[in-house]
Amino acid sequence: MSLLPRLARPVCSSAARPFSSSAARALATPVAQKPALNKEFKIYRWNPDEPAKKPTLQSYTIDLNQTGPMILDALIKIKNEVDPTLTFRRSCREGICGSCAMNIDGQNTLACLCRIDRNGAKDTKIYPLPHMYVVKDLVPDLTLFYKQYKSIKPYLQNPNPPEDGKEFLAEPRGPQEARRDVRMYPDEYLGPATLMQAYRWIADSRDTHTAERREVLQNEMSLYRCHTIFNCSRTCPKGLNPAQAIAKIKMELAAD
Amino acid sequence: MSAARRSGLQKEVLGLYRRALRIPRTKPEQTREKWDLLIRYTFRRNAMSVFPRDVSAIEHLLRVGGRQITAYEAESVKDCQVSAEMRLWDQRQRQKRTFDQ
Repeated sequence: MSLLPRLARPVCSSAARPFSSSAARALATPVAQKPALNKEFKIYRWNPDEPAKKPTLQSYTIDLNQTGPMILDALIKIKNEVDPTLTFRRSCREGICGSCAMNIDGQNTLACLCRIDRNGAKDTKIYPLPHMYVVKDLVPDLTLFYKQYKSIKPYLQNPNPPEDGKEFLAEPRGPQEARRDVRMYPDEYLGPATLMQAYRWIADSRDTHTAERREVLQNEMSLYRCHTIFNCSRTCPKGLNPAQAIAKIKMELAAD
Repeated sequence: MSAARRSGLQKEVLGLYRRALRIPRTKPEQTREKWDLLIRYTFRRNAMSVFPRDVSAIEHLLRVGGRQITAYEAESVKDCQVSAEMRLWDQRQRQKRTFDQ
């Protein structure tokens, strides 16, 4: 009922819109084109088909007034119009999927969330993510990451699921079986993304394997290689705080 | 008789080749000869394609090869394709060997 008067209200007519906001293409006379704002992008190139060739920085100059505001827009423009051999991962173009993670001007970010610096005099350098093997150009090899991620068992472990039709309720944890898991990466640092997930499952009250999860991290490398320098929290494009999660795991482990 | 002193990288490459050469015996009898040829050809061709001191290129080929071998080792993989080029290469190798003797 309350909807009716709202629908009856007249929609703001286009005639009332001031001219300044009308799109340029709707005008009879073309507006003067913005002057070209050329900017140089230096992009890491490496082709796996010629492994003997060393990686190089290839430079591309494009007009910023003809591209979108983000680095990813520039990359797509280069791939579409200048050099189709340029290779990078991208999917959602809005910072959800994380495919376009790369190192832009020394900062690890998502290309789709990183604005282009509009200073034409300075070039922008784009590299693949550091400390990872490169598959091609800007595409890093994530195999190790997924293996490490798998090693922390990022799923609910509970031998006694609730009866049909009932939800898991937050309740005190029952007695835990001390089953020793195969330690997959005791000699490698797991990294903030994986550790944050590890904490997410350690903190989950429905999970009954908390003791084992802790034990897997109880070595010099997996967790304690974190030097608490907050690089992960500073650079996280989603504004998460992996450093805090790591600190909480450390606190739990210290109590063991 | 002392074995040749090998660098870590050389050992890794040989280890990879050894792992690869063990694949055919896990495959069905009638495909073994094809597997053998595929592995020898792929290894030799890749090994010839890089300069022996180009460490980064060799390491890359090691990673790629490791992944490839893991795929071949899977039990569900039973057969493989061998191209005419591989057969030709094999023939030449055999001829060379008899010539050397």
